[in-house]
Amino acid sequence: MSQLNYRTINIDVLDPESSVNFPMVTLLPPNLPPPETSSDAANVANQVRQLLRSGDSEGALRHVLDTAPLGGDDRAKEVHMAAVIDVLQGIRQSEMTRVLEGVCSGEGGSERADCLMKYLYKGMSSPGPSSGAQSPHKSMSPQSTGGFSQIQARNLGEGGGGQQMSVLLSWHEKLVELTGTGSIVRVMTDRRTV
Amino acid sequence: MASPEIHHLFHNPIADHSFSPDKGTLAVARDNNVELYGKEGNKFSLTDELKGHEKTVTGVDIAPNSGRIVTCSQDRNAYVWERTESGWKPTLVLLRINRAATFVRWSPSEQKFAVGSGARVIAVCYFEEENDWWISKHLKKPIRSTITTLAWHPNSVLLAAGSTDSHARVFSSYIKGIDTRPEPSAWGERLPFNTICGEFLNDSAGWIHGVSFSPSGNALAFTGHDSSVTVVYPSAPEQPPRAMLNITTRYLPLNSLIWNGENEIIAAGHDCEPYRFQGDESGWQLAGTIENKTGAGAGSVREESALNMFRQMDLKGQSQVDTQLKTVHQNTISTVRIYEETNGNVNKFSTSGVDGRVVIWTI
Repeated sequence: MSQLNYRTINIDVLDPESSVNFPMVTLLPPNLPPPETSSDAANVANQVRQLLRSGDSEGALRHVLDTAPLGGDDRAKEVHMAAVIDVLQGIRQSEMTRVLEGVCSGEGGSERADCLMKYLYKGMSSPGPSSGAQSPHKSMSPQSTGGFSQIQARNLGEGGGGQQMSVLLSWHEKLVELTGTGSIVRVMTDRRTV
Repeated sequence: MASPEIHHLFHNPIADHSFSPDKGTLAVARDNNVELYGKEGNKFSLTDELKGHEKTVTGVDIAPNSGRIVTCSQDRNAYVWERTESGWKPTLVLLRINRAATFVRWSPSEQKFAVGSGARVIAVCYFEEENDWWISKHLKKPIRSTITTLAWHPNSVLLAAGSTDSHARVFSSYIKGIDTRPEPSAWGERLPFNTICGEFLNDSAGWIHGVSFSPSGNALAFTGHDSSVTVVYPSAPEQPPRAMLNITTRYLPLNSLIWNGENEIIAAGHDCEPYRFQGDESGWQLAGTIENKTGAGAGSVREESALNMFRQMDLKGQSQVDTQLKTVHQNTISTVRIYEETNGNVNKFSTSGVDGRVVIWTI
């Protein structure tokens, strides 16, 4: 019989009562849209970039938030994330408030606001596209690990990552003014990750 | 709106509070004990202590008619306290749970009470004459996590429960020989024990902190850690609800809520002040705060004199101290309860919280 080191067995996995075996799918609402593929996400990204080029920045942001792949696979989410970041970076600081007020009002406005907040936090937790050195962390999402690690490099320094961070932070400031702390709380509870 | 009546009892958190029906006695859960305060004039002063629990007391409820007090604690026990000539006498309840008890409420009939627990069960307790003992039956399925809150339907059979698995559920707690058969309603017609009459999850899926039935019992409201209030109108047994309305707020999460009539909900929580929600089946919205913040907060700012200003600068290096919140409660509100009502319309309600205050609000 082979030697088994019993101390290294993770007994929590074997205990059906244990919290690590909690069925997370039970926290997803039944009205979740079907999973999207990355090519769907790429299509949406193209439409959004077109809108942005034509100068309709409010329409672009509205569309990209309405089509968020809440039920999509990780690849689709990454592609969509890149589109969102592009839109956010493509809107000038002086226009932010006006665009936000437009996007976060009307039918489904509060859902769009919550969705944007999810993208802001995801964007701040993952390294920017230009910093290749940290690619192993790329798949990390604050929502799947359940916490915002302080150890992970924040890449606030030089390079594109820092610039992206400052854009996200100014969006965050404007969005909190509009939607309050409730929206931040919902990013933490909501299991429909982006 | 009259100004709220503030009773600052001590500097500890109040896990739960309950008034006797004549409002002369106030029971509050403080650490491992329950303290009873008697009203003298406009003040409440400590009259008695219910000692027996070995860990933090998490729930206390006074039965309006019998005057019996039920308490539950993290030591996994619940006691029913009865007043005798020699003081309050506890009776242990056989809960049969292996995790902390988290919440307790008497049913409106006072024949039963329900205890929520971390053992993923709700113990529905009733008195068995033959054995002279409070025994319990467990509501188990399909609870996946700790029960945080409970609320009784006016018929004393249906029980709403909120859990950390983000679901609010409505169960039947019908016990033969204790309960009379309930009239059929939108929640269900035949209701054997542990019938699931409803299971609700809102989109952003926060832990549920508070649940409450409307005065008629035909609507359910719950609030969770996603800073929202959800109102559910059931349609018919086994059918999806007629309407499920979610009101997201811009505030911190709300912990507890009550109904005022069928068209108003009062909720309070981490923002330290009670809010009002109004609406009906076609839609609900936030109607604002109940707090009257035009005056100074509870700690009413002292008159600004030059002397005071220089004293503050000398002592603390700042000319003004603004460590006090503008709200009456100075910390999270954990419990909201109806204090006085007429036919389901609330005239007064009480709140208690982490700041050791019990506040009675007039609407």
